[in-house]
This record gives sequence, C-alpha cells and structure tokens, in this order.
Amino acid sequence: MIKVKGKEFPWREGMTVADLLKDLDDSYTYVLVRINHKQVSKPDFDKTVIPDNSEVFLVPMVAGG
Amino acid sequence: MANFETKEIKTFDYERPSIEKGYANQSLHVNISDSEISIKPVTEKMKEVFTGGKGFDLWLLWNAVKGNTKWNDPENEICVAGGPLCGTPVYPGSGKSIVTSISPTTGSVMDSNVGGHFGPFLKFSGFDALEVQGKASGDVVILIDGIDQKIRIMEMSGLPDGAHEVSAVLTEHFGQGKPRNISVITAGPGAKHTLIGCLNFSWYDLKRKRVRYKQAGRGGIGSVFADKGIKAIGVRWDSVNVDTNKPADKAALKAVAKNYSREIVELDPKQNEMSRVGTTHLVTIMNDYDLLPTHNYRYGQHKEAPNMGQEVYRRIFDPGFDGCWMGCTVACSHGIKDFVPLTGPYKGKKVFVDGPEYETIAGCGSNLGIFDPFTVAEMNFYCDTYGLDTISVGTAIAFVMECFETGLINHTHTGGMDFSFGNKVSALELVHQMAKGEGFGKIVGQGIRKMKAIFEKDYGADPRVLQDIGMEAKGLEFSEYMTKESLAQQGGYGLALKGPQHDEAWLIFLDMVHNFMPSFAQKAEALHWFPSFRTWFGLCGLCKLPWNDIVPEDNKDTAEPAKVMKHVEWYAQYFSAVTGRQVSPDDLILMSEAVYNFQRIFNLKMGFGRREHDDIPYRAVGPVTVVEYESRQDRYDTQLVEQHKVDIKDKSTDEKVALLRERREGMYEKLKDAVYERRGWTSDGIPTVETVKRLGIDFPEVLDVLKSHGIE
Repeated sequence: MIKVKGKEFPWREGMTVADLLKDLDDSYTYVLVRINHKQVSKPDFDKTVIPDNSEVFLVPMVAGG
Repeated sequence: MANFETKEIKTFDYERPSIEKGYANQSLHVNISDSEISIKPVTEKMKEVFTGGKGFDLWLLWNAVKGNTKWNDPENEICVAGGPLCGTPVYPGSGKSIVTSISPTTGSVMDSNVGGHFGPFLKFSGFDALEVQGKASGDVVILIDGIDQKIRIMEMSGLPDGAHEVSAVLTEHFGQGKPRNISVITAGPGAKHTLIGCLNFSWYDLKRKRVRYKQAGRGGIGSVFADKGIKAIGVRWDSVNVDTNKPADKAALKAVAKNYSREIVELDPKQNEMSRVGTTHLVTIMNDYDLLPTHNYRYGQHKEAPNMGQEVYRRIFDPGFDGCWMGCTVACSHGIKDFVPLTGPYKGKKVFVDGPEYETIAGCGSNLGIFDPFTVAEMNFYCDTYGLDTISVGTAIAFVMECFETGLINHTHTGGMDFSFGNKVSALELVHQMAKGEGFGKIVGQGIRKMKAIFEKDYGADPRVLQDIGMEAKGLEFSEYMTKESLAQQGGYGLALKGPQHDEAWLIFLDMVHNFMPSFAQKAEALHWFPSFRTWFGLCGLCKLPWNDIVPEDNKDTAEPAKVMKHVEWYAQYFSAVTGRQVSPDDLILMSEAVYNFQRIFNLKMGFGRREHDDIPYRAVGPVTVVEYESRQDRYDTQLVEQHKVDIKDKSTDEKVALLRERREGMYEKLKDAVYERRGWTSDGIPTVETVKRLGIDFPEVLDVLKSHGIE
C-alpha cells in the first residue's frame, strides 16, 4: 500500500510513477512528483519504480524561477 | 568586537508621521556630499501612478539624474523602498525592498529586490523611500533612527571589511541591547573593486542570535554604494504587529492573510518543501529538464548535478525558522552553520553561510563545471561578505573558463591561473582577487561586457565568438537558466527591462513542457501579463515566491494554471484591505503596466531602451558550436526537418548549425515584433504616445523623451 494525495492507494510490484498516474486517471501534465523526499521529474516517470509503503506527492508545479 | 571611532557629521531631528493605510506619505533624501538631509512629501498622484516600492524609486531616480548621468557621478542615487504592503507581518512574503540606481555595467536604470528587515523598518520609521545621493571621502554610515526620530550621518573608521562583520558590529552598536531593532545595508571590498557589487540587507535572527542577510545582487548597485564612500546604512525600529502598517480594513487583511498562511503551511510540505530546502529543490528539476546551465550554458544537464541538489542541502542546512521577514511561512532563507572555508581571510574559521540558493548553486557551481556543494558554499560566503553578486560572478567566471578552454585567452592573461572548467581553486582565487582589485580578478570584476572589449582589444580574441558565448545582455550577466529550447524565455530574458534576470518572466515550463503558448501571439500575451504581474510585487514590497511556488491543489484544474488566479485574487484583496483602494486582479496589471512602461522610457532617457538593446547572445538561443549541436543532435535535426522543413541530407554539422541559427534568430526577431505590438510599443520597442496616455504616465518630461526619439 502507498499513500497518494493523502489517501491509501494499492501498490503492486514494479509499479512506476507513470503507471500510477495512468491508474489515477489524472490528465494534468505533472512535471514533478515526490516519493517521500525524493524528487522525480517527468522524463523519469516511466523508469522510476515506487517502493511499497511510500508516500507520493503529485506536485502541481507551474513555476521555476 | 572591533574597535572603531565615530565622528558625527550631521544629526537631523524629525517628527515621525503616523502610517496611514500602508504609507508614511513622505520620503527621505540624504546627500552625503554636503550632508544635506531633507524630507519630501509623497503625493496622492505619486501613489496613484507609481503605487510605491519600485515605482517610487524610479520616479525619484528619474528626477535626480540626467540622460548623461554616469553610475559614478555624484548625482546618481541609490533609492530604496518597500511599498504599501511591505511590513505586514501576517501575510507571507511581505518584507521586500527594491533598490534602484544607474548601473555601472548597463549604464541604465537597474532594480534589484531583496529581503531583510530594512524596507519595513524604513517605512515604520517614517519614510516610504530613501534616496542617497552624492559622494563622500570617508567611510560614511547613515542611521535612520525611527525610535529617537533622528537621522545621523557619521564617519566611522576602524570598522571591519567583511560585510557580515560590519553588519554584526553595527547591529550591536546601534541596537542598544535590542539587536532585532536594527537592519543594516552593507556592501564590501569586492563591491569597491569591481562593477558587480551587491548590497547585503540584514535582519537579526533571534533563535540563532546572529545577524543574517539577503542580497540585492543585480547590476552592481553595491559598487555604486562603495563608490559613494558609504560603509553602511542602518535603520532602527521597534516591534511590529498587524497594526503597525495601519491597514484600512484589519479584519479583511487578517482573513485573507490567514487563508494564505494556512495554505502554505499545509501545502509546502506536500510540494517543494521550501521551508526546509529553500530554492535548492530546483537544481535537480532543472537538470532533469536540460535547463541547468553547465559549462557556460553550453549544456543543461550533468550527471553530477544531484551532488548539489536538495537532498544534499537538506542535510547541510541548519534547521529552524528562516524567514527573512516576520511571519513568512515560506521561510526559505536557509543557511549553513559552522562552515569552515578552505581559502581566503576566513580560512579555518567557523562562519555562517547565508545560502546557497538555486541561482548561486547553478552560477558558482554547475555553470563552472563544479559539482561540489562545499565549494559553492564557500563562493557564496565570500561573495556575500565581499559584496559581490553571485550570479554575475558565476556567469562571468563561466565565460572566462570557456574563453580559456577554447584558447581565446591563456595563462599569460590570467596571471598563470588555469581556468579549465571545474577548477575550484582558480574560481575561489578569482573571487579573492576581485575583493582586492588585483590581478586577473580586476578584469573579471568589470563584468562580461567590458571583458569582451578587453579580450578583443588587448588579447586579440575573435569578437564574434566573444559575442556568441558571453552571456550578457544590456550589460547584465544572465541569471541561471537555459533558454535554448524556450523561445518565450529567450524573450523573458532579452526583453526584460534591466537585462536578463528571470524576475520579470519565467516561462520555460509553460512554453517547453506544457506547450501552453504555441503561437507568437500567445507568447506575446505571456510576455505582457507575467512581467506586469511580477512587477507588481516590486511595487508593493512583496516576495513573489508564495504566489506560484506553492499553489492550491485545485489550481491545475483552473483555466490558466500558470497565473495561479486564486492567489492573484487574494493579492487584490490584500491590497484593498491595506490601502483602502478597492482593486481587482486586472487593476494590479494596470498599476504595473504604468511603472513598467515608465521604466522602459527611463532606459530611453539614458540612451538605451530600443529594439537593438533587446538582442541576446546566440548561446541563449541555440547551439553555437558543433560540439553543442552534436550533443543534442537528434533534437536539432528533428527541428530542422519537421519544424523548419529543411532538407538536411548530406549537410555537415557546421552547415546545420548555421541553418538552425538563421531560423532561430529569425524567430526571436518575430517574437520581438509580437511582444512590442502587444505591449503597445513601436516596432523599435518604444512605448507609443497612446500607450503612455492610457497608462497615465504622459508627463511632459516623458513626452519630451519620446519626442526626442521621433514618437509624437
């Protein structure tokens, strides 16, 4: 089980960030998520595996500088 | 504690006015040539047209200088102002000051924003703005004592050199046992010996029991300060609460402030954790998107960049509250305790480093091919205490390193130092040389524009290459973002009034990642709205970070997520609650547009502010060299074929570099056309008479400047 947006969400072995976003059916183009304190950017969504018991934050980032 | 002597030059008693709805309704003028002190009224017209903060600064400076005033002429001023919302302790990010002056590197008007307690304390002491004019021979210290209602001009001899020490000594000296009542502006020896000096604005950190500071870095205003012979400007004020700024509607202010503050406390831990890691979170994000400048903006990515990311600084930063103004829940001004420099006058001694922030990490780190967080911290510490802008220092050394590696300059020019990318020892030594005004550091401290002229004239370097790779525009060094793949951000830098600083517009994600603005018209609209809204923060004494670095969870579902309109509406409510002037979000843009256009015309008055001055080096637009092109060959080949319909079969890389350049430079010129039209400017980039009339800045002297450029 992982936590996403403060709620529990089922985890599965090998689940990537891209998989999670697909499962969430959220059409917004996230540029960044955080797994606990670790940042993951969109170019790495499909190669970053989410560990079990993680908390995932979808960061609605629009700015930078 | 240092032994120093004080010679009183002038004491001026005044009666502190009551603050009314965010304004003191007067400004302070100090001429240090003849120790003349005067108080000027802030008129209703000034408030209506210029709002406050940067608007007041610009108006005061405009009236002080002539079109041919140089940065080191006595009539040049340093103007400091907060704004009507500045000093509100309950609304996050409400302690900013804006500083303006004629810049030594651009020759035109410069503005730079900064945190610390000076702006709020200045206003509560009775002044919406401060003008300092003239030049003195000694180490002048000015104290604005809002408690005793006195302005003092002093000569102080024997003060230490380092800005962190001067700030600490004067805070103790003027604080009369209450150091938190003091804020001090200082520069440093580097500001004196270079043209890229910064100003440090202090506050007293109660928990750590030490003086901290933030920097007004851009455009060499610290060098103006040092050239005037000013050692420090202090302000003394007492406690602050929500009533101190005398808001028109306290209940409404508290309601909107509570919403904002609570939202940040709830969402920052879920988003970028700025209250824990500051802006260091940007390092790895920029790196992931090929936007982190490395090796003088040649590339946007490096495998060692995570060595300097937020995961590292999370461990290095001293935990605790780090707001640069009271009540700010973003609280991003982090620092490193007990840092021990390996070089320079503080070698082996424990010091506190205020920072680093993203810009310093990228400028003094990755852009130099340095990926060591401790070298960055040492550069940060020395730049601050010497009074040097970390952005200009970083970008200037990056230019030197590329010139060195490509043979444009060599050991004979650098005093024997090796400036290969990644050489930490040489980078630090150069900073120490800048502080002393010695050796090669004396040349580098002039900034890139002057270095280009010296390298061409004295060292025989190819001026076309220097122009392509020297990352300055209008005479100001670029801040630390790659723009090659974002035409909108090329405009964000190139069309910025003071030069390429990202505080006017940061459009890279919107343009490059989200593709929210595919057409020229859409880019032009963004380059109208965002600079206008971001300018508004500078008029009011606010920090922009709370606006769009922590966003509501439902923001992504709004029509224009990039504008974060919920927050814009809150800002309109905030302004209305403090000033009593009922405004909508559109009114905020109009306020800014007036000041923005006035600043453009100020540039014109100083001999700049036309289309040719909005040019940028090609390194900001596309790949200058074959190596750069080939590093992202698939991207560039695809663009040539699919976007520009070019047949690249049998073309050499040299030919493809040239073909891409021709097209990208053409697109940048088209962008200028679209933006000028949207802003109500001529095709030469000058505001029309119709525009200045619409914005209420059609003063006779403004119309005279336009007329002298053929605009009637």
